[in-house]
Amino acid sequence: MLLRASSDAVGAEVDLSAAVEEAADGGVEDGAVLTAFAEAVVRATDDLNAARARALEALGPAKFVEAAATIGIFNGLVRVADSTGIPGDPQMLESTADVRGPLGFNRWAGARASGVAEAPA
Amino acid sequence: MSFEDSRFPVPVRGDLTAALRRSWADIGRPGAWWKGPERVAIAALARAERIRRNEPPWSRDRGEPRTRLPEKAIEAARKIGADPTHLDRDWAEAAITELGDARYVELASVVVTTVAADAFCEAMGIEHETLPEPEAGEPSRERPDNMGDIGAWVPVQVIDWQRANVARALSLVPEGVRTFFRMVAAMYSGTATDFNEMVWDHRPMSRPQVELLAARVSALNQCFY
Repeated sequence: MLLRASSDAVGAEVDLSAAVEEAADGGVEDGAVLTAFAEAVVRATDDLNAARARALEALGPAKFVEAAATIGIFNGLVRVADSTGIPGDPQMLESTADVRGPLGFNRWAGARASGVAEAPA
Repeated sequence: MSFEDSRFPVPVRGDLTAALRRSWADIGRPGAWWKGPERVAIAALARAERIRRNEPPWSRDRGEPRTRLPEKAIEAARKIGADPTHLDRDWAEAAITELGDARYVELASVVVTTVAADAFCEAMGIEHETLPEPEAGEPSRERPDNMGDIGAWVPVQVIDWQRANVARALSLVPEGVRTFFRMVAAMYSGTATDFNEMVWDHRPMSRPQVELLAARVSALNQCFY
């Protein structure tokens, strides 16, 4: 998981549960604003306008555009992976072995393509 | 011109809008296996279905599709566009059997390009971009060599591959790779050198900020990869 690797690279400790929790900051600067923005876009919630405004105010225009671009492209990337059944990369599987089970990733349908699926909860 | 600068509420990098414009125009061009009008129809179906993503699939009021696409293509465009958590091997194999593997991959490439651009617009707070005018012409019917089985649902490039698997997921249709991964470079990864660096200074956000967003979007879509 590149979140952990990139945080390690700057000597920061990241809480990976932010990936699966609501509006969690994960120990990342402006993390809660970012995750709430992502949630509002992906879910098309009534809170989207407010979440967008909070992101623009907290991040400033340049970072806001980067956040919007990241949210946009990852909505495409997840569909690339999940429409083709591409297996996880060995390095990714190894580096996430300790967190996939506790965070529930191994119960998602795509885990089958990587041979690590657990039964859904 | 698509993605006009004046539509955005704040300034957007020129390389980002340039990538969006080029990839958007690609949707309207003949591909390897689908004609331009078919590709635009696929994009329209994916968009319309994704707009209704908060409604259960069985209760969406779709009306009659205004397209001559095969039934399985209509289903695939809608399902990949709006319900990625419901994709599985059995369904994909049925779609691939009916459509052909390369036609399925090209369809997916059009859908993911459309969804990424639409989600970007939603995040920016602007209307979705008007779909491109379809261009006339016949599909190239190019099928690359060096495809093989790595356990994915579709064949992928297998010779001299050193990068992430997701980057070769669409490799059965090289034009689809160029169209979508041009946007990936502009909206996320930068160059290959940038991508391998864990500390980023080529983007306004830090890499942990970018990767937190990536992880959250992936988790919201229950994407294992």
